[in-house]
Amino acid sequence: MFNKLRIGKKGENIIFGTFVLLYIGWCVNSPDMNIESLKSVLTIGLSVGIIYGLVALGISLIYTGLDVVNFSHGEFFMIGAFAGLTMFNLLGNQDWIFNIFPDAYGWIIYVVCLFTAFVSMGLFGVFIERVFLRPLTKKGGGYTVAGMGIIICGFGLSVVLINVAYLIWNPVAKPFPAELGLPMEIGGLFLPITYIWMIVVGLSVAAGLWFFLNKTKMGLGIRAVAYSKDVSNLVGINVPLYISIIFGIACAIAGIGGTLVGPTYQVVVFMGYIILMKAFAAAVVGGFGNLPGAIVGGFTVGIFETASSFYISGSHKDLYAFLLMIVVLMIKPTGFFGVQVKMKA
Amino acid sequence: MSMTNSYIFGKSEKKIGGYLLKINQLISGYGSVQILNGANMKVEKQSIVALLGGNGTGKSTILRAASGLIRSWKGTIEFNGEQIQNLPAHEIVGRGLVQVTQGKDVFPAMSVTENLKLGGFILKSKQQLSDNLEKVYNYFPRLNERKDQLAATLSGGELQMLCIGRGLMSNPKMIMLDEPSAALAPQIVLDIFKNINRIRQDGLTVLVVEQNVRMALLLADYGYVIKDGVINVEGDSKKLMYDESVKESYLGGTKANV
Repeated sequence: MFNKLRIGKKGENIIFGTFVLLYIGWCVNSPDMNIESLKSVLTIGLSVGIIYGLVALGISLIYTGLDVVNFSHGEFFMIGAFAGLTMFNLLGNQDWIFNIFPDAYGWIIYVVCLFTAFVSMGLFGVFIERVFLRPLTKKGGGYTVAGMGIIICGFGLSVVLINVAYLIWNPVAKPFPAELGLPMEIGGLFLPITYIWMIVVGLSVAAGLWFFLNKTKMGLGIRAVAYSKDVSNLVGINVPLYISIIFGIACAIAGIGGTLVGPTYQVVVFMGYIILMKAFAAAVVGGFGNLPGAIVGGFTVGIFETASSFYISGSHKDLYAFLLMIVVLMIKPTGFFGVQVKMKA
Repeated sequence: MSMTNSYIFGKSEKKIGGYLLKINQLISGYGSVQILNGANMKVEKQSIVALLGGNGTGKSTILRAASGLIRSWKGTIEFNGEQIQNLPAHEIVGRGLVQVTQGKDVFPAMSVTENLKLGGFILKSKQQLSDNLEKVYNYFPRLNERKDQLAATLSGGELQMLCIGRGLMSNPKMIMLDEPSAALAPQIVLDIFKNINRIRQDGLTVLVVEQNVRMALLLADYGYVIKDGVINVEGDSKKLMYDESVKESYLGGTKANV
């Protein structure tokens, strides 16, 4: 009847632990294994992982709030990256900013870009939810599930958003030359400072979301709506508005993720798809619908992927996330933290 | 008000001040299934009205329509002189009409205090919120003892108290209770009904939907019996208790033990 944080059965944990030990043994046996490479694997893995975690956080948030699996979430990530890049290009040739802040010029512009992506994606998410998802969910009778229709709608929305982005920004990969300082040396590798920046900003966003959900009145309302729409209505919460807010927050977080990876990789129209798939893997690994689980799952997928491509084989990089997801689904179907079980009256 | 009533539930003075809730020819249902076939009801200010009926007769549907969870297809619902049948649910709460759910409909992963604070979600000032919290703890000292526990750990009676307390948090004019005695021990039911009477004495209007007909009629001033989506019998609760048709259908054919 009630929510329960399920840590997992003992047998499951033992089998899973054996797999983990075998994997660690394999990596340790690799000829490339040394403390230097381990340091860089952890840095890259955590920084990539927090991006998966942020997108997975949005997917989980929409899943708990709207009971909808949003298959177009990767596209909000991609458009967020473009929103950040557009702002960057607008500010990049403004000399007055450089004159005022000659030292912290790159940082200030980058923070403005992050903020732009956050706000614009939030508004864009609310717009999408109101205009495209709301009519569907209303047909379904409530504010949430309209059966298969909503899933098809997610896929369709994904195709439409990619093609709209294609029309606006064309398919050429674009650099995002944020000036954030010289690369750092970690474990013999020179890594862009954006790797650290990703981890710091990503964790701050996750912590901010935790604070927002647990310590503010609006967060209390969001948690109530996520549990039961009817009871929330009866205590006077404007449920339709809150559903839009949930969708908007999830999209805003995805937008920040897009702008965070921009300077390290490149901004391209097709970047959303693979991120969506890996974020799904992260959400499943952490426990679908569990918000801290999404971040932990993201870190796990990121580190597993990076370590495997370092120590096992670098030519199948995209394979490992899904391999991990399959193993987790086989052994621990509820993920690390389990799903918060809820029963509706 | 009978002597027995005040003996069991404490003193009560009935004040007459017009009707607070009027339901006229209400037709409604779920999807394409029509449940209510033109129900008529009136609830007097500061009275306790019982709405009785068997399973699937439309008791809860009336409550859901009045609190805006489902739309009324035809007919009007008038609250405090204003038609509310087209308002969204959260605005009806703002008007002062609050439905108290059954005990299982709490937020189990939140603490008792958080659940109560959600009840006062529409309140603007923090001072008002903490005042109301005090008021609820005054009605139900048991909740004060358990205020930091998760709602999932409460017993059935405490859950029902939590639901009533949550309904009181938003300063309502009227509360509508959905089977407050469901699945509770008789002693706890008596305790909760005493508190309902106390709430009425403090100036609120109460509508109780019940299957526990005898207890509800003892508590209430006026009763409606619903059958197949229309009001079948209505009258003073004392009269209803001795009404032959009510007795036969809902009191099991035996003489009410009053």
